[in-house]
Amino acid sequence: MQEKPDNTTHFGFKTVEEDKKVELVADVFHSVAAKYDIMNDVLSMGIHRIWKRFTIDCSGVRQGQKVLDLAGGTGDLTAKFSRIVGPKGNVVLADINDSMLKVGRTKLRDMGIEGNVSYVQANAEELPFPDNHFDLITIAFGLRNVTDKDKALASIYRVLKPGGRLLVLEFSKPIYTPVKKFYDFYSFNILPKLGKLIANDSESYQYLAESIRMHPGQEALKEMMENVGFEGTEYFNLSAGIVALHRGYKY
Amino acid sequence: MPLNNLLCGLLETGVNQLHQLDSSAVIKRKQLNGTIIGVSLKELNFPLYFVISSQQVDILNKFSGDPDCFIRVSVSALPKLQDNHQLTHLIKTGQLEVEGDIQLVQQFAQLLTDMEIDWEEHLSHKVGDVIAHKFCYHAKKIQQNVQQQLMNVEKQTALYITEEVKLAPSGLEVAYFCEQVKTLDKQAEKLLVKLNQYTNK
Repeated sequence: MQEKPDNTTHFGFKTVEEDKKVELVADVFHSVAAKYDIMNDVLSMGIHRIWKRFTIDCSGVRQGQKVLDLAGGTGDLTAKFSRIVGPKGNVVLADINDSMLKVGRTKLRDMGIEGNVSYVQANAEELPFPDNHFDLITIAFGLRNVTDKDKALASIYRVLKPGGRLLVLEFSKPIYTPVKKFYDFYSFNILPKLGKLIANDSESYQYLAESIRMHPGQEALKEMMENVGFEGTEYFNLSAGIVALHRGYKY
Repeated sequence: MPLNNLLCGLLETGVNQLHQLDSSAVIKRKQLNGTIIGVSLKELNFPLYFVISSQQVDILNKFSGDPDCFIRVSVSALPKLQDNHQLTHLIKTGQLEVEGDIQLVQQFAQLLTDMEIDWEEHLSHKVGDVIAHKFCYHAKKIQQNVQQQLMNVEKQTALYITEEVKLAPSGLEVAYFCEQVKTLDKQAEKLLVKLNQYTNK
């Protein structure tokens, strides 16, 4: 739906050619991978942990299931899922960015999580998995950076088992005006400065703030999910809509 | 419900932090590795699911699979869960309901409550041996003192109530009264039997 006739897409507030976006996003994440976890804690004031916890509560995951943690980055969700599905289950941590994947793999191995986790470098638009393969797919703070979101959702729908569910945790549109005002001020004035201070990289965090604004709102994303075939779609606003969790089922 | 998530998060962090200080926790977690135990307090109706792995304990608010064991327990019975002998008694009196493996309950209770943490040792890394020892020594002393005082207060209040203001009878008085009631009861029965004999004639 964002596709324009001349094959361009947005990269934050800039307009770039479609095949360039992947590289540009990759550059952002190569540059922040090492400090990704600490930045998450600082920028969200630790609240991202609660958002992720809520995601796990909504996942309905059980022992022995197959889970795909797409754009899993440094593996926060993967670690939890790996412990819940147990030795008979399987969790795949997939990310398009090999820097993030390496950070995630090192972190999980240090925590002693092995055996039921595998690591795959994959593009969400062209998932390298068979049809009807996963019981649960999560994509937390990743869909925003995908060039063609409809294609990615369709690809996710394909690899999901009938009866499986997709969870999309992503920044969204605040539902109250005062929250929105504060949030805008925070993300355009404070966030890049914090990025500069801690990770010495203000542009990446400028991109973060801009890309959040360009991401479709709650209803729009719900519609996109329905368009590729998801049923029973619903969303939960978290922290007054700063983040929304979308859930859809494949029947 | 993010508030629940916050609560679970805090609880989980607390339990795992304590476990890191406790050297025996790893072994206990290994015994329970891979088990999922649901716990719900009878008073609150707020289930918690403990996912135990050798790395850590995860606490979930919702779980749609089948836990290995589900416990429904009232708050008052919580401290008694550890004791193997009391489990059957708790189940009989309805303070504890268990679905699944009952052996897990006890192991699980031990995992959460029976932590051997050597606070003095951990403190000594921070402030040095001498201060740590002094601090723990005095803390123990104070704790003993407080316990002693509490016991004294309890005893004195009991005496005051029974002896000074005579609000309640003492133990012996109650026993004597019960004895009297029993005798009276027996006498009344005898009288009744006698009375029946006379009326039947």
